[in-house]
Amino acid sequence: MRTIKSWWLILAFLSGFALAMMAEEMILNWRDNRLEFSAPRVHFLGGRPLELLHNAAPVPFDFQVTLWSGSRTHVFQKLTDRFVISYDLWEEKFRVIKTQSPVRRIEHLSAVDAEKWCWQQMSMDVNGVGASEPLWTRFEIRAEDAKDGPLFGGSINDSGVSLARLIELFSRPPAQQSHWGPFDVGPFTLDELKRSVRRGS
Amino acid sequence: MKTLWCLTLILAAPLAGCGPLDDDEKGTGELNVNSRYTVESVHVNGGNFRLPEPLRILINSFVGEKFDRSALDKVADRLRADLHVTDVKISVTRGSDPEHVSVEFQVKPQTFDLLMGRSLYASKEGWSGEGGATVNVHGNGITFGLLSDGDSMLERYAGIRAKFERKNVGTDRLHLRFEFESYHEQWNLATLDAAQPGEIYRTRQVYSPMATVVIFQPLELDFGVSFARLRVPFSAPIQTEGGGAAAAKTESSNAVVSTLRYHQRWGSEHGQEQQEVNASYGIEAGSNLLDTDQVFTRHLLRGRYKNRHARNTVEVGFLSGVLHGNAPLYQRFALGDSTTLRGWNKFDLDPLGGSHVIHGSIDYGYRFLQVFYDAGAVWDRVQDREPKQSAGVGFKKECFQLAVAFPLRSGRATPIFYAGMKF
Repeated sequence: MRTIKSWWLILAFLSGFALAMMAEEMILNWRDNRLEFSAPRVHFLGGRPLELLHNAAPVPFDFQVTLWSGSRTHVFQKLTDRFVISYDLWEEKFRVIKTQSPVRRIEHLSAVDAEKWCWQQMSMDVNGVGASEPLWTRFEIRAEDAKDGPLFGGSINDSGVSLARLIELFSRPPAQQSHWGPFDVGPFTLDELKRSVRRGS
Repeated sequence: MKTLWCLTLILAAPLAGCGPLDDDEKGTGELNVNSRYTVESVHVNGGNFRLPEPLRILINSFVGEKFDRSALDKVADRLRADLHVTDVKISVTRGSDPEHVSVEFQVKPQTFDLLMGRSLYASKEGWSGEGGATVNVHGNGITFGLLSDGDSMLERYAGIRAKFERKNVGTDRLHLRFEFESYHEQWNLATLDAAQPGEIYRTRQVYSPMATVVIFQPLELDFGVSFARLRVPFSAPIQTEGGGAAAAKTESSNAVVSTLRYHQRWGSEHGQEQQEVNASYGIEAGSNLLDTDQVFTRHLLRGRYKNRHARNTVEVGFLSGVLHGNAPLYQRFALGDSTTLRGWNKFDLDPLGGSHVIHGSIDYGYRFLQVFYDAGAVWDRVQDREPKQSAGVGFKKECFQLAVAFPLRSGRATPIFYAGMKF
């Protein structure tokens, strides 16, 4: 009887640990006074954007990272950048262009490597942040596939509003994901980061 | 009057200078890794249709050129507009030769559709609306609709409209259509007071067989005949030969109709810039040869130019018309509706409409915000000609619009509110 109880305890602990690990999506790292981000479990090259990419359309992704220091009301730094990704139909590899200064470009990447490169480009200079100062970060990604699309998904034409098209539009399952995050991490300090890798969800 | 002509010339000036847009999409190719590849073939699949010649030439011009996704998106827009389909998908695959790609436009034909054509609420005239169903079978389009319109004419007319249309009669340059309309009319008191007995009709039925010839894209000529039957009530019932009493008589208003139309669009709705020109000249002649009770000739010239640059849109409109002879009231010109002299009540301008009209308008829009200015005159006799002006502001998103307009005149000006879709 006592043996069974111990097994239950171990199982519950392991399940909780596994769930916690699964929930952690963003990993923070500190290197040469820069805060680096990675998220091996977040795959924005999938779903509708990937469908467009496989159809030879370039897809822009907007990244935004915010760092608060001292308190949640004081924004220390906010970085935004746009990455335009396209998929080479013949090589079956991705090309990524970072469009904000400094403009950078990389080719012949797998989907995972393309995602990883984008995360790497968003590293943040943390000069001026105290080693023991509490910090929070938030990371968001948005694909620009239907941001400025027509109000009723093309159901309006020269003849009027197509009710049949509207019915079809509203009967569709919810749109494919085109927004990832926000991924929040914190509070943490640079001291903690220097000692270990910080995970967030 | 001179002021009006000057205004018209100023408003029409941009028409003279418009030309095809520079479609250079610098940088787009850089962003797409596939722009290094050559287009091997382009196909349009998915429906029983014939591509208009200019569109076919445009599509074929992509073969042998470097892949340009944004240019293909514009062609998809044109396919949607020219083939009247709601869905066109672009599929790009590897070609049979290395470094080549194949492009396919997948057109999804729509056999049945319910359309909400137009709806409007104007604070002076109340509701107007139109809706219908369309069935497309083997290149034939059949439309049946219901409408009630108190805005576009002097009368409020409500009833049914049915249309059979074939867009390809041996050649895609010839279209045929047969349209039947049957309406009941309601009249404003001002019109009833001003009209002569016999001018007011209670029902109107119109049958119009028409043909369209595409002279060359985008110039088209419509021609055909319009047979109208009007039910005109007597002021008091009269005795018939058979001993009964007749309350109304039937009059006919038959006319030969011909309209020359020009519609050209440059740029894409997804692009930074877009220009559009719509112009038409129409003539209707009611002749004794057609056994008509009303003999008249009606000329109408219309023009509209739209230029969109990023979030700024400018639209310039012009219309001018002359009517000779004795025409039924629905043929007479009226200003002061949701598109002309917005803010004026048409029954204050002329409750019976006029035989001459001239009108110009300019609309400017920034994102959803819209401001507009209208000027025009409607008259029968030269001495009655009195130019009027109006202005307004509103919000517009795609075809949905909310606006308030004021007549520009001395004294008290009551605004008119407009809300609706595609007016």
